[in-house]
Amino acid sequence: MTALRTDTVLADLVHPGSALVDAATGTTWSGSDLLARAERFAEGLVNLGPGPLFLLAGVDTGTVERYLGGLAARRPVALLDPATPHAVLADLIGRFQPAAVLGTPDGERAPEGYLPTADGWRRLASGEAPPPHPDLTLLLGTSGSTGSPKFVRLSGRAVLANARSVIASLGITTAEIAPTCLPLHYSYGLSVLHSHLAAGATVVVTGHGVLERPFWTAVDRYGITSLAGVPYHYEMLRRLRFDPAAHPSLRTVTQAGGRLRDELVTYFHRTMAAVGGRMFVMYGQTEAAPRMACLPAEELPGRVGSVGRPVPGGTFTIRSLSDQDTAGGAPAPRRGRSATSTSPGAEGEVVYQGPNVMMGYAESAAELSSGDELGGVLATGDLGYLDEEGFLFLTGRLSRIGKVFGNRVNLDDVERLLRGRTGHVGPGAAVADGDRVVVFLEGGTVEACRAVARTLAAELRLHASGFDVRPVDRLPLLPSGKTDYRTLEAGT
Amino acid sequence: MTLVERLRGVFVQALDLGQDVEVEKLEYRGVDAWDSVGHMTLVAAVEDEFDVQLDTDQVIDMSSFKVAADMLKNLGVPEG
Repeated sequence: MTALRTDTVLADLVHPGSALVDAATGTTWSGSDLLARAERFAEGLVNLGPGPLFLLAGVDTGTVERYLGGLAARRPVALLDPATPHAVLADLIGRFQPAAVLGTPDGERAPEGYLPTADGWRRLASGEAPPPHPDLTLLLGTSGSTGSPKFVRLSGRAVLANARSVIASLGITTAEIAPTCLPLHYSYGLSVLHSHLAAGATVVVTGHGVLERPFWTAVDRYGITSLAGVPYHYEMLRRLRFDPAAHPSLRTVTQAGGRLRDELVTYFHRTMAAVGGRMFVMYGQTEAAPRMACLPAEELPGRVGSVGRPVPGGTFTIRSLSDQDTAGGAPAPRRGRSATSTSPGAEGEVVYQGPNVMMGYAESAAELSSGDELGGVLATGDLGYLDEEGFLFLTGRLSRIGKVFGNRVNLDDVERLLRGRTGHVGPGAAVADGDRVVVFLEGGTVEACRAVARTLAAELRLHASGFDVRPVDRLPLLPSGKTDYRTLEAGT
Repeated sequence: MTLVERLRGVFVQALDLGQDVEVEKLEYRGVDAWDSVGHMTLVAAVEDEFDVQLDTDQVIDMSSFKVAADMLKNLGVPEG
């Protein structure tokens, strides 16, 4: 009947017994329906030239259909923030030469070389780049909106392996009903979709967040069983005096996307346990599709602050660092023979090994044709240690990436913005502190600090309260003359 | 100062609103600053200014300036 077969990735990713529900209308599609719709969608893509698909991924059922359709067409799909500024999107299109851009906003002009259609833009001439690698399935952005965003290249095998690991770690059964609490272009949000569809469970698609009435109406109407959140969601739920007793179906909460304060881990663990529910703390990176570790509720007492043990199929080792690495703050050069260990208490860079590790990064269309460059080994850039039982504790960042409300922010970009855009003339330095970025301004005034926070927020499209800008008399320096980031981090 | 004037001040300060914003017509997500993060800042500022404590439903339902003003009236904050 159709020239396309939903083999490999898609068939394993969408269990026929799973379900997708549109919270606004109540419309429900079974996994079989989704597979059929994906195939039909894919038929409309057969005449496209080579290259990946770009999908501006809103949180709606249309996005899920287009995404699965892209997979059915065996195209690598890049999921993009639907609020990606025009200039950034144009730059990405120029560099990656997508065969089509789906889910484009109404009224937006198609870039040169692209034809507007009913559902997005299609490239007119075939590009000069070689076709993407056959294993390449999913492309997710790394961070931020400054500089030149690059893509994480994920194979279908990695995506499926991680979906299965998450299913095992959380014990996802066909009875689970998860809402889309997080954007689908965000690896954590996407992994909720993947793991539930693969497990034969249900996903309720809602564009509303935990601060909106329709979200909680959906929780009760559809009997939602779990929530997924990054630290700031838990700050909000705490502030809301969230009480799971008011929502009898809701018995599992998961947290990832950065470190949640110990006090709140304990609070939510107790709040959930009091109603027979569970709080899972998890750790991951987009580069690992994304989940690497999980701390189940029953193992949480006595281990608050840990992100758990590796998910099934994964292992952690700790790469010991030279003094240069720990003092410099800059990304360490990867040495072939650096010492690694799993011995308890030894602190160093967390290195993850598992089937879910990315193939590599890509900054251009040509790099999409590359094969696996990592061999299943990911140097995370996080610092940490393992305890006697193999539980991982994270202690800081080696690389210059911070998080603001779950969004990765390149701290070097922040410093570049400080110099270029904020009008601040003195030296400044940015360090990560949990879910925000702390910026130290030499000789700054209180008003200047406030203005800088506002500028950074606008430039990076994040909320100003995610930037804690403080005046300092003098930035601490290393003997080398470089900024002493460790001292600054200790001062946050 | 009237309740509405005080509330306007709270919104401007908490959401760092510019002078061109029509504060009294504002709705949740109506400006970039009033997102989920801004909402929590706003709720804390409202609680401080009017010495009230909002419960879960009130925090969730405070979806516009008008709703916030009506809610405060219902909580017994004098309008004058």
